Amino acid sequence: MSSRMLGEADSYQGMPSGMPQVVPCDAAFRRWIFAIILGALVALPLAALAQKSASANVTADLPPGAMQAKATSTCTECHEARIILQQRLSKAAWTKEVDKMTKWGALVDPADRDPLIDYLSTNFDPDKPPYEPQRTAGGSSGKSK
Amino acid sequence: MILRSYRFIDLESPAQYFNTWLTPANHFFVRNHMHEPSELDAKDWRLSIGGEVEKPLTLSLSELSKIETHSVVNTLECAGNGRGFQRPQVPGIQWGKGAVGTARFSGPRLHDVLQRAGVKPTGKYVMFRGLDEVPGKVPPFIRSIPIEKALDGDTLIATHMNGSPLTKHHGFPARALVPGWIGAASCKWITEIKVLETEFAGNFMSPAYRLPNQPVKPGETVKPEDTHPVTGLSVKSVIAAPGDGSSVRVGRISVHGVAWAGEADIAKVEISTDDGATWSPATLGHENARYAWRLWSYDWKAAKAGDYAILSRATDSQGRTQPATAVWNPSGYLYNAVDQVKIHVV
Repeated sequence: MSSRMLGEADSYQGMPSGMPQVVPCDAAFRRWIFAIILGALVALPLAALAQKSASANVTADLPPGAMQAKATSTCTECHEARIILQQRLSKAAWTKEVDKMTKWGALVDPADRDPLIDYLSTNFDPDKPPYEPQRTAGGSSGKSK
Repeated sequence: MILRSYRFIDLESPAQYFNTWLTPANHFFVRNHMHEPSELDAKDWRLSIGGEVEKPLTLSLSELSKIETHSVVNTLECAGNGRGFQRPQVPGIQWGKGAVGTARFSGPRLHDVLQRAGVKPTGKYVMFRGLDEVPGKVPPFIRSIPIEKALDGDTLIATHMNGSPLTKHHGFPARALVPGWIGAASCKWITEIKVLETEFAGNFMSPAYRLPNQPVKPGETVKPEDTHPVTGLSVKSVIAAPGDGSSVRVGRISVHGVAWAGEADIAKVEISTDDGATWSPATLGHENARYAWRLWSYDWKAAKAGDYAILSRATDSQGRTQPATAVWNPSGYLYNAVDQVKIHVV
């Protein structure tokens, strides 16, 4: 399988509660490390806080574009970007999704509706290459008991 | 696990995990429509039973545990499993093959709990509400099942999975377990059971989790009255090994996987290594329970090197067979086309 590995921090194995821990990578990882180093320079408690908040909010990024910032703040208020990254939808389908999410509480300024639909349908249309999901480390070996 | 979403959490089992009859909890898929409960205290947890009943009840976990326990080995599959293979694509979590798993679920029968409350003759549906945390103005995750299924002796208020208390991801401290039906029927973290006169009216009963009564073309509008709720699972098999895209040596190749059919039994699983021109029967595993998948295996002798597609096709006791192409539907439910892996024999 071509899915990327996320590291060795998966605590999903048999735990009764909590979230699986995934280790960030790529750009998000670099920013995370930078935040920790910067925090350590300022004060250790701040570094600990940065690490804690980063590990609890491991998210992928939405692609660049004029609507990236607004889409990020609007959509990831309730769910992370991966839910968008894996979709491959027509403009008509994205229109329905944006309107549904607005009805469900997403704060979309009326002036931003059409640009948001354009942004999503341009970046996540059916002709884009398939999305490659990441894996949590614990289940990544393909070996099972 | 395959990470479909981290917040809220949705995890898929890689198909190669499907080589045991019971799926360990840490390899069992996780499906959430919204956020998991941020606080769960078993001591404070209560389950209320009300609506069309003679005597509304509230049970603590300790009181629930004193009711006779029943166990059901059940294959739980998300209605959207395989949605990612539908063409044209439809919105939703783009599950591959692994939003499915099998576990021994234990807990009191829903029947016994409802009997204590005394269902009135007007009670026709049973609604579950859980502690899913709703973001924004998203409708709450509340669903209902018909009273006949609720009173079935195998429908549970499950507190245990494979002999251990449910994990938080799987609904601790108690979930509904509606065997043979789509996973969404088996609501997690339940705190309220309400007997209703009619099907619960809410987003997750309609328009969600419904299928058109007749096949529709992509883009066609379907009227709500021309749909029905998704209930029992389809017949389906999945190949666990060899893995898709893997290289194997010429000679004997062990092909194995799982097959299930919801409320029906698996009658046979067949394998094709010549693009569906001919089919040979696989051997079904001896472990068997009414609502559980069957392991199956097939020894294939690959005589010469080359690229091959291995296909698996299940048929159930109702005569349903996995189709070559799944019926397209607007939400991508119950995808069950013949499974396929492509391999290189070297």
